[in-house]
Parts: sequence; structure tokens; C-alpha cells
Amino acid sequence: MEQKALTQKVIVLGVDGFDPKLAKKFMDQGKMPALKEFTIKGSAREDLVLLGAMPTVTPPLWTTLATGAYPGTHGITCFFASDPVNIDTMYYNLDSRKSKAEPLWNVFAEETGKKTLVWHWPGSSWPPTSESPNLHVVDGTQPSGINNGIPFLDLLKVVTGSEKIADSEYLPNTSHVAPGQGCIIDNAADLMDEGGEAETSVFRKVIAAGNNAKGFQFSITEEEECEIEALGSMVCDTIKSAIKSAEGWAQAPDGAKEFVFFVSNGLERRPALIVKNEQGIYDSVQFYKSKKEITPYLTLKRGEIRFDVSDTVKNDEGEDVACNRNYQLLDLADDGSKFNIIINNAAQVGRDDYFHPKSLYQEVVENIGNVPVNFRVNGSNEILVRETMIPSWEHYCNWQAKCLTYFMENNQYDIIFSHLHNLDGVGHYFWHYACNQEEWKENNEISYQQFQEDVYCQTDRYLSKFLPFLDQGWTMIITSDHGLITQEYHGVILGEIHGVNVPVLAELGYTVMVKDENGNDTKEIDWTKTRAIAIRGDHIYINLKGRNPHGIVDPADKYELETQIISDLYSYRDPRSGRRAISVAVRNRDAVHFGMSGQECGDIIYFTEEGFNKIHADSLSTQCGYADTSVSPIFVAAGPGIKENCVTERVIRQVDVVPTIAAITGVRMPAQCEGAPVYQIITE
Amino acid sequence: MSLRQLDAITFEEKIYGNEETCLIIFSRKSCHVCKQVVPVLEELQPKYEGKFGFYYVDTEENISLFQRFSLKGVPQILYFDSGEFRGKQAGLVDEEKVEGKIATILEA
Repeated sequence: MEQKALTQKVIVLGVDGFDPKLAKKFMDQGKMPALKEFTIKGSAREDLVLLGAMPTVTPPLWTTLATGAYPGTHGITCFFASDPVNIDTMYYNLDSRKSKAEPLWNVFAEETGKKTLVWHWPGSSWPPTSESPNLHVVDGTQPSGINNGIPFLDLLKVVTGSEKIADSEYLPNTSHVAPGQGCIIDNAADLMDEGGEAETSVFRKVIAAGNNAKGFQFSITEEEECEIEALGSMVCDTIKSAIKSAEGWAQAPDGAKEFVFFVSNGLERRPALIVKNEQGIYDSVQFYKSKKEITPYLTLKRGEIRFDVSDTVKNDEGEDVACNRNYQLLDLADDGSKFNIIINNAAQVGRDDYFHPKSLYQEVVENIGNVPVNFRVNGSNEILVRETMIPSWEHYCNWQAKCLTYFMENNQYDIIFSHLHNLDGVGHYFWHYACNQEEWKENNEISYQQFQEDVYCQTDRYLSKFLPFLDQGWTMIITSDHGLITQEYHGVILGEIHGVNVPVLAELGYTVMVKDENGNDTKEIDWTKTRAIAIRGDHIYINLKGRNPHGIVDPADKYELETQIISDLYSYRDPRSGRRAISVAVRNRDAVHFGMSGQECGDIIYFTEEGFNKIHADSLSTQCGYADTSVSPIFVAAGPGIKENCVTERVIRQVDVVPTIAAITGVRMPAQCEGAPVYQIITE
Repeated sequence: MSLRQLDAITFEEKIYGNEETCLIIFSRKSCHVCKQVVPVLEELQPKYEGKFGFYYVDTEENISLFQRFSLKGVPQILYFDSGEFRGKQAGLVDEEKVEGKIATILEA
């Protein structure tokens, strides 16, 4: 099915985690003027809603947005894939080779000769699946940022200096600052005295492992192992620095104070000076590699962040490896007696691993700048969210907008599929704090609701950079994979994407753990007694004879067992609130209604009840959360081929996005496409 | 001649205070590989008297130093010159490897 092209140029402005409910709220309040402008110049539903597919997880849904096929069809059915035989084993799913559906970008590149760019699209884009020279791809291959799948050379450093500290100390791999604590500044030194807690979060490890990750198994048995808790503490190296009078310097200003800090995984010690201004107030810090140097490699004023500092990290041979990282002088006392500095993860410069063709990396770096590295700071600390995390994403948004508009200005591409991760990136760190919970004693939900507004305004500034191109023949589709929910009822362990969700199915008697000598559960599943496991976001697998190596359930009993599990899930009540925690549970066959049946899906598919949904992944795509949040994705289209100022009542499904783009550009539908063009918004 | 032992304080003095050109082996008494590497260093030591220092850190007695350098096992030989880290060698290393590294540092 092909028709006359109504436009020659299309850019998909994908924003991960962009929720139409919050967007409409802020747009109606006049806080998202660019989005408003897009709706006036284009088409959307009144509520801006796109009916999302499920599971409400990033890789499945960006794959749906690329192929027009449901997850059950393209086969990417959660952040990780389950092994169909060893049902507790999972594999990384950000891998295009796992998708069974054709992406629209291949059609453009191979059959229409259109120059096509896929820019950090976390759903079956890497490695490129077409050899056409018309297809260029840039990736992560991790949703949070370009190149984030490449291991960092050096971990984030928190440097806390004080004249009260006698000797400088370096504490590697410290995990500290629990939710609710107001400020890192006051407690960092105390926490260090207690000794650092080594980072052991499997969630972080598997997410960071990238597409080289081998199969892994993990049983989630307690709250600390859940995503929200795992991300609740910050992983960093902590440095306790003694502040002294400057001595032995080739050149140090009068009255300067000195301290040392450590980089390169502790192998490299560097000196720094705290310097007074003309009024005698200590207001800046100068960073050096050696006291013999005359000029610092970096000077920071109080409160200043410097992004993309050209720096070096020592490798095991003692050689300098070029990297870029961010520095922030978070605070500094007027008398120079104490300070806090954050030095971000170091990313190696020159890594073109995820740029195809590789020359694209050089072009981006030369014309726009190094790929930014975001501060990975703690979402439970309001100061760090406001002063560090959100500004860091502002920098990333600006860099990305500059890259894409540079390509658009230079007519380098006809078709661009782009994705931005600012909302989802911060959402996983703090969206849940926008609802007060007893266990996070001091989280101030009003502050976090303000942060939600701040990042929506940030997204609007990003979108505004593309508005001028509407008059230059570009058609634009603003869309997302899912929204983000602020959870109301916390504590039921179901729907975690990174392992076997043990507690509820254990309580119901389906999952049994091996006991230790004291009769307590270990982390190991007892396959001789386990009839079913809940694994990944929404899947339950029966431990079936003949299919699974330790299967104990006779295939003849499978149907009845499924009936019983579904019945028990509906009867399950959250012990804290007394409420039903499951919204829907169905057999694999029936889950076709949700686009989630077939061999890549569990024997039972379930979704948690509204209120219990955490950030995203375990919810029906129509569910809403606390603080006006919803998990629904968004859809707004504008430009040639799209009606102006058009409000449609048509239910627009996520699988309809690809056919709509195909229809207005006059290309054929991708092979596995299950959607239909949104005829109602297309110009005659 | 046995290697001179360093603790957190003397380490600070020698490496960063005096900015000595030297190596430090991070070791543990019960480590079998260490027992093979330490004698190699002891034998080399006199040859470099006055030019290159040889030191020993017992990681069990100086856990903070071991952690400081994010080390993940012993033996590990760390090289320093003018307070600057110049490289490390892990596991079973022979005389040739150590002398090669020393030569690179002294020539620089």
C-alpha cells in the first residue's frame, strides 16, 4: 500500500517517559508554549494521548514505534528477554537482532533512497539491520544516553573538604545518602567514618552491562533489591579532603588554601587551591595536576558547573587516557574552611563504537562537541536534583538539539528518528518521591512535583528548538514510549524488570526457595517444589515438565494451575493497604488483547492495579498515578501532510505511528506492521 | 635484603612528600604468588640503590591503602615517580618485567 508523498522530510521527536496528562496540565497552564504551538500548527487528540502498547517498557515500545508491530509480534517483551527453557535466565534486550519485525527506517533507506538517521532510539536500532549507505545510526546502547553502554573510565567522585579533617582519605565505591536525607553536605563525612558500603545492586549492574551481557539470573526477595530502592543511593567514590595552608606551590595566590583529591580510581592524586577574591571571600577552587604547574586546568566559582571538561584518567600502565567529565563546586564556605565538589563519571573521548558510519562521530564532535555525560547523582537528595541532575540534563538536551538541528539545517537527512531521555532519565531517580511515603521520612512531595514541572519545561525548551523547521518543509511527530507514574502504594514486589519477583508468588505457594540450615529462605529457587515464577515486568512462567529442565508441572495440569494462579492473584491483598494489587491477569493466549501473547511472553501476563504501578513497566498503558501522572504515551503531529489546528477523537494507537509516517511519505508499510494510518489527521 | 615496609603515614611521606621514584608491592603474608614475587624484588633492590626505591605494603595491616588504590587482589606492584602514578603490574611478574618498567620510568 503506497500513496503520493505529502511530505519529503520527517523528524520523529521521541521523548522517553513523556506523559500527555502532565504535558497537557503544564501546557494549559502556559508553561509549555512550544508544545502548544505544535498542537495549533498540527493535530492531536484533545488529551494528547497515544494509546500505548504493553508492556510499558522502553525497548519493547520504541521497537513498536519503529515497526508498527505489537511486542508479542516483534518479540521484544520487556527490558530483558526470558530464556524459554531456563525460565529464570534473562538476556539484554536492547539488541536489534532479537527483533522479528522490520523497522520503517530500513524501508526508507533501502527502497526510497531517503537519507535516514536513527538517533539513539532504544528499541531494536543497534546494530543497524540494513547495509544501505542511506541508513545512519547513533546509539547507546543503553536508553539513558548516547555511548552510555561504554564503561566509564572513572567513577563519580564526591569530594568533601574541611579544615576539621586531619588526613585526606579516599573511599572507593561508596554507596551512601539514603532516601529522605536532606543534604549530602552535612552527613557525608559521618557516613565515611562508618566505612563505605560496596555497591552490590544487581539492578545497576545488569542495566550497566550493555548488550554484551550474558544471560543472568537474579531473585528479588526484598525491597532493597527493587529498582526504586536500588537507585535510592548514589554510587560514587568518596574523598574526605583535609584543607591546609598552601605550601610548596610553584605559584599560589596570597592566602590560598590547598587540598588534595583523587581521580583515576584512586591511582592519581591531584592538588587544588581554594582562592580568595578581592573582597577577601574564598569564592573559587583551582584544580591542578601538580603543584609545579603555573596555571590550573580548571577553575570553578562557587555553585558553578563546568560540563565536558577535557581531562585525563590514568590507565594501569600509568598512561593518560583522554576523557571528558563534568565538575561542580556545589558549595564553598566564605572563609574557605569547607566545600563540596562533585566530579562526574569520566567518559573516554574518541569512542565511536555506537556511531554508524564512524565518521559521524567525528562530525558531531567537531561541529557540536563531545557526547555529554550526565551526572549520576542521587534522586532522593533535593539539592542534588535541583543543582546538579536537572542542569545536567539541560546541557544534554541543548547538545542533542544542536546536533539534530545542525543536520536539519545542512539537509543531511530526509528522515530522522530521534529519542531523548531526560524525563525517563530523571524519572527513575525521583518520580516516586512526588508522593510522600512513610519509609522515606523526609521526602517532600511538593518539591518533587515542582521538579516534575521543571523537567517538563526543560522538554518544552528542547522542543522549541525544532519549531522553526515546521516552516522549512519538515513534518514532526512528537511521541513517547510511555509516561511515568508516581506510585501511591509502595512495597508490593511485583513487576520488577530485572529478576524473579519472589515474595508474592512465594506467599501464594507457587515459588519455593531453597532453605538454609536455619530454615530460612536462600536466594536460590527450589525447582523441585516451584510450580511457577513471576519474572520480568509482567510475566509468569509455569515450571513445566518437558519444556523446562527442572519442570514439575505435568502439561495436562497446566491449564488448571494457570486458572488457580490467576484466581489467587486477583484475591491477593497488599498487607499494608489491604487493597487488591493486581489489575489484570490472563493466560498467554488471551494476552493477545494486550499485544503480549506468543513465545516471548509468559504463560500468564499480569498488570498491577492502579496505585501500585511503579514508575513504569508493570502497568496497563491507560493507568494513572499520584500527582496527575499517567503512564500513557503522547502523540502530537505537525507539518506538511498533517492537518493544522486539528483535534481528533480518533483513538491513536502506538502501532499507528509508523503507518501514519509511511502514509504521508508515500512508502510501503513495514512487513509486520499491525497499525493503520491516522487518516483523520492527514491532509487530503 | 628485605623490602622496607610502609604504612599509611610513611607511604604518604615517601610517595607524595619526598616524591620518591619507587615501586611498592602490595602483598599478603599468606599469599603464595607473593612469596614468589617478593624475592625477585629483594634481589633487584641493591642494584638500584640510590636510584629507585623498593617498598612493601602488608594489605592486611593497611586495608585503607589497599582500598585507596581500588586494588582487587595481591600481589600488585605500583610504580610512582614525583608523586605521580606510573603504572601497575599484577600477579606473577618476573625480573625482566620489573626491570623493563623501572627502565621506562628512569629514562623518562
